[in-house]
Amino acid sequence: MITAERKPLEELIEYVRPFKRILLLGCNECVTVCAAGGRKEVGLLASGLHMALLKSGSTIEIREHTLERQCDPEYVEELVPMIDGVDAIMSMACGCGVQELARRFKGKPVFPAVNTKFMGASERQGVWAERCQGCGDCLLGKTGGICPIARCAKQLMNGPCGGSTGGHCEIGDDVDCAWALIWERLKELGQEERFVEIMPAKDWRPGGGSGPRKIIREDLAE
Amino acid sequence: MSFQKRLQSNEFVVLAEMHTPKGVNISRLVTDARRIKGRVDAVVVPDMDNGIMRMSAMAGGVLMQQQGVETIMHVYCRDRNRMAIQGDILAAHVLGIQNLIVVHSEDMSQGDHSDAKPVYDLDEIGLIKAIGQLQKGKDLAGFDLDGEPSFITGCSIAPYADDAALAAELSVAREKVAAGARFIITPPVFDLQHFTSFLAKVKELGVPVIPTVFLLKSLAIAQYIANSEPGAHISDELIRRIRKSPDREQEGILIAGETIAALKAMTQGVLIQTLGWEHKLPAILDIAGL
Ligand code: SF4
Ligand code: SF4
Repeated sequence: MITAERKPLEELIEYVRPFKRILLLGCNECVTVCAAGGRKEVGLLASGLHMALLKSGSTIEIREHTLERQCDPEYVEELVPMIDGVDAIMSMACGCGVQELARRFKGKPVFPAVNTKFMGASERQGVWAERCQGCGDCLLGKTGGICPIARCAKQLMNGPCGGSTGGHCEIGDDVDCAWALIWERLKELGQEERFVEIMPAKDWRPGGGSGPRKIIREDLAE
Repeated sequence: MSFQKRLQSNEFVVLAEMHTPKGVNISRLVTDARRIKGRVDAVVVPDMDNGIMRMSAMAGGVLMQQQGVETIMHVYCRDRNRMAIQGDILAAHVLGIQNLIVVHSEDMSQGDHSDAKPVYDLDEIGLIKAIGQLQKGKDLAGFDLDGEPSFITGCSIAPYADDAALAAELSVAREKVAAGARFIITPPVFDLQHFTSFLAKVKELGVPVIPTVFLLKSLAIAQYIANSEPGAHISDELIRRIRKSPDREQEGILIAGETIAALKAMTQGVLIQTLGWEHKLPAILDIAGL
């Protein structure tokens, strides 16, 4: 999933301060799962903004709403009846959702309420970690299902650096060394020979090296 | 007189562009430099221009200095992060390079290593500011330098297709000047009338303007530019002139020389681009009366 974290309240207050009525918009997908921008967080942020603004002597009308998916034009269309009644939108979705709103509602200022972080997985309750950088040419089949691009601090492609100690990355003991994980997994799979295979310099084009990417499925595209 | 001093005293500057080799054979570069020594004020050395991997500009610049030719070195953001760029800028100063141009970099996908990972840690304006900060004795992280470099830094305006694109280029150029660029290189001039109105707009930026004069090596190249870059303003008349000429190569040289001669009365200098035909530079300069 795409993970995100709520921005500090002070930053959000400055965004909304000039407006009288805003739409605070959550998303029911990834940001709900990582507890950053779902229905519940919309409610919490709305009261946070109300209180903070009251303290500084101003008021704001906040309309709360949560869409099934903010990055999907079909769901964004639902907002049409609400848009005229507000001066600005604050979105609690990831950057894809925010941009979809900006595209659809050209005349309305749109502000992000979360910092979109990475594509990751939940390690345990309340902890999410990066897993994939969308390099466009997945190597997991060669690296025992562990990604050296997203999980090795140096994006090394041919085994660990000299800083790998006791399974930890040199950047900190709380970070697993991706290559230690890869080695352990390959051993378990009896694929140690994969470890010595030399991978060529990576082609970064599918990973965005040639600019913004697009998928066009001829069989589905209208 | 140095390039910087000439700019300061409003003297016309003549610059020529020379690429480093793709490899280590520097004989042509050195011969070309010797040939124009004393006839141009400085040689502009691009780095991996157009995304083509080649010997780096710093080595090219040092080779020029060794031949007694002043260098203006390209710096840009595609291939190096802020660490590498700052390190190279310090090194350039120590090796005697006093002039930099912060240029736009062709997208990696257009070059010959399109699978490489682009960097873009800084942008052009950020890079101009970084150079200024190094000159004040601080690096980008705010740490003190043990000895600060000094340069005159310029910037460039990219070719533009229409008025809207030009307006955008000019507003970015204004920011570059505010960030510390002290001269500006503008796209090739093929039509003096059009250039006159363009120049009026660029002059508002308040820094010396140095237009490019591009050697049209063949009719095909002229036609290609005319068709693919409407903003270049290559007129039908110019195409006709090259087509009708009994010696088209010589005609290109004549056109370049005449353009330079005409620009002498209008601008602070010229940058002559000959793209591999650097041996023709003396002939162009002869015609320009320089
Ligand atoms: S190899 Fe590429 S696509 Fe596969 S997990 Fe890593 S970044 Fe993602
Ligand atoms: S310690 Fe491991 S994960 Fe960290 S940089 Fe080195 S190889 Fe990569």
